Amino acid sequence: MRVKGNHVILSLVSLVLGFIIAFSYHLTQIENEKPKMTDVQYKQTLALRNQLIDQEERNRKLQSELKEKQEKVQKNEKELAKEAQIFSNFAEDTEKYRLFMGKVKVKGKGVKVTLSDGAYNPREDNVNNYLVHEHHVFKVINELYISGAAAVAINGARLTSHSYIVCNGPVITVDGVPYPAPFIITAIGDPDVLSSSLNLTGGVKDQLVNDNIIFKLEKADNIILDPILGG
Amino acid sequence: MWLPFIGLIIGIILGLLTEIRIPEEYSNYLSIAVLAAFDTLFGGIRAYLQNIYDEKVFVSGFFFNIILAASLAFLGVHLGVDLYLAAVFAFGVRLFQNIAVIRRILLTKWSTNKEKLEKR
Repeated sequence: MRVKGNHVILSLVSLVLGFIIAFSYHLTQIENEKPKMTDVQYKQTLALRNQLIDQEERNRKLQSELKEKQEKVQKNEKELAKEAQIFSNFAEDTEKYRLFMGKVKVKGKGVKVTLSDGAYNPREDNVNNYLVHEHHVFKVINELYISGAAAVAINGARLTSHSYIVCNGPVITVDGVPYPAPFIITAIGDPDVLSSSLNLTGGVKDQLVNDNIIFKLEKADNIILDPILGG
Repeated sequence: MWLPFIGLIIGIILGLLTEIRIPEEYSNYLSIAVLAAFDTLFGGIRAYLQNIYDEKVFVSGFFFNIILAASLAFLGVHLGVDLYLAAVFAFGVRLFQNIAVIRRILLTKWSTNKEKLEKR
């Protein structure tokens, strides 16, 4: 069979026709693959979409609320931090006051002053001239406090703001407890300051030495003062 | 003689295998092109059956109608008038008319053939 010219043209036409029809069919198939919605489904979709929008709005509202609350929480936290700082300051203060009150054990650098009665002197008629008296102890203690001692103890007994020292014959009574000579006065503070203040010319040491008292001063690195029991 | 059918089959295969996706707004053009192609095809069949078939008219009409329909739809989209409806309407009416004419011709042919067979 010989190929006619009009056959070629006709085949071209049919090719185009087939292509267009098949392409259209194919395209429609692809579009039909997408789920088609009925009326009910459409309504459902709409309702769901509206619900979703509502939810999103609520979410946004809640989120802004959350933000506000978080800001409030932050503010509260800041206040709490401030309060905590205040409390810690209070705690430090309390610690300091306890230290001064003699309620806690204190440990630190300081000085140790030993006051002993003078050696027996047969030429002295009066024994009082070479005994350690309460005013000697007072002088030392006052000097120590003035020089910035944080805590002072006599023979291990801590002194407080309401301690009393009485000279009672051969002993000195501190807060009602008698202590014999020698008197060891321990003070916690800057050892250099304390010792130099005691060693002033014409100061406490000189006065006490004039009264025939044996005055011994040593710096100590580690003094431990026990708290007052039942204070 | 089989060449047009081979072309048709190749065209169908090509169309099915094409993975080109045309945008939604251009699918109107395609439907109109399909309608125009059908219209011209049935017009050609009718002309052939009426013995007034002219290949030039058929081929030129085939392509020209497709292009005209597509451009009409294009114009309609850009003017905001649904001009492709006019094309659909016109092609649809002509399609039905052509098919009706073909049906009548075939019927007459069939009945005459029957008569001939009975006369024998």
